[in-house]
Amino acid sequence: MKRLIIATLVLFGLSYGTIQAGSVYLEIPMATGEPHPEGNVFWRTNHMDLLRHDRDLTMRQGERDIDASLASCVTCHAVNGPDAKPVTVKSEDHFCRVCHDYTAIKIDCFQCHNSVPADFGETSLMFNRPDNTLDILLAYLEELSL
Amino acid sequence: MTATLFAILYYVATLLLVVGVAMKMRRYAKAPAPLKIPTMPAPRTMKGVYFRMFREVVVFESLFKSNKWIWLFGYLFHFGMLVVVLRHFRYVTYDIWWWLELIQPFGIYASYLMVIGLMGLLVRRIVVERIRYISSPSDYLMLILLIAIAATGMGMTFVQPVDIVAVKGFFLGLLRLQINPLPSSPMLLIHLALVALLMIIFPISKLMHGPGIFFSPTRNQIDNSREKRHIAPWAKKLEE
Repeated sequence: MKRLIIATLVLFGLSYGTIQAGSVYLEIPMATGEPHPEGNVFWRTNHMDLLRHDRDLTMRQGERDIDASLASCVTCHAVNGPDAKPVTVKSEDHFCRVCHDYTAIKIDCFQCHNSVPADFGETSLMFNRPDNTLDILLAYLEELSL
Repeated sequence: MTATLFAILYYVATLLLVVGVAMKMRRYAKAPAPLKIPTMPAPRTMKGVYFRMFREVVVFESLFKSNKWIWLFGYLFHFGMLVVVLRHFRYVTYDIWWWLELIQPFGIYASYLMVIGLMGLLVRRIVVERIRYISSPSDYLMLILLIAIAATGMGMTFVQPVDIVAVKGFFLGLLRLQINPLPSSPMLLIHLALVALLMIIFPISKLMHGPGIFFSPTRNQIDNSREKRHIAPWAKKLEE
């Protein structure tokens, strides 16, 4: 009886294995542009800290000229949907979501930031601003100081 | 190489854990309980016994009644560990269940509770003289082992991240009888080795109090000695 139970369990285990066989890995979408010099594993394990570090630089010290900005991430790593346009983070095919869904980690970047390249952004203030933004701002400041 | 080593380690550890716990539980089930000894006041119906066991397992009722601060640390640790363990399910299911995604951030906070509870229990062993006197090396070992597991786990979240996509690939592979590469981050390897050690010593340690509670005569018996005579099978034979 004991042997029968063990044999059944082993058989069950083996069949589970074969039924589930196949790749356990993801199809990570290819990016355009140069590969990261630090290597993919470095970026996979450190991207969150790098982005957060840049956020602090930008927000607290006003430095906008930084190596890795979220905008350049989503430009190189854009994934095109069926309509040949980059998909937003709402789509499961979005570059960030592929791994984040796999590992159950919620992304909160795109609650504020744009998840598609600048040209395709719906309301990208950073990139869709008029050319004379600076003049408008200066005029405004001048008015204030009068 | 490390991947193969850890794959073998985890297959062996799982086998020892499952078979070991099953054998121990079989022994508990067969152990004679010749006397009616539920801790009074005890429930008088089977339903009541289920309810009492539920309270014992879910809120540690008898510990709460006997010592409030041991209960506090014990409960912080056990509840924290429950959420942390549930959070780890993301490594063994390809598709993520909705609740699993929901508890992810809470699992990080739960790790604080777990460590606070364990530290409290360790301090108790060292500071309370009466407890120190009756503490054996294995009592310390369990606490230190669990603290080390929690510390290395939190280290991977807060200090030195690892490629968790690869980690998930490794564990999904184990479930499908294939050996996939494992990242060779020291923090991860120590974490996994300690967890395997915990799995291996679980069936021969005090940690068996988990499955054991269900077999405790003082907790699982009905107070019905007036209605129904409690008699062990071997004693019954003598009377016939």
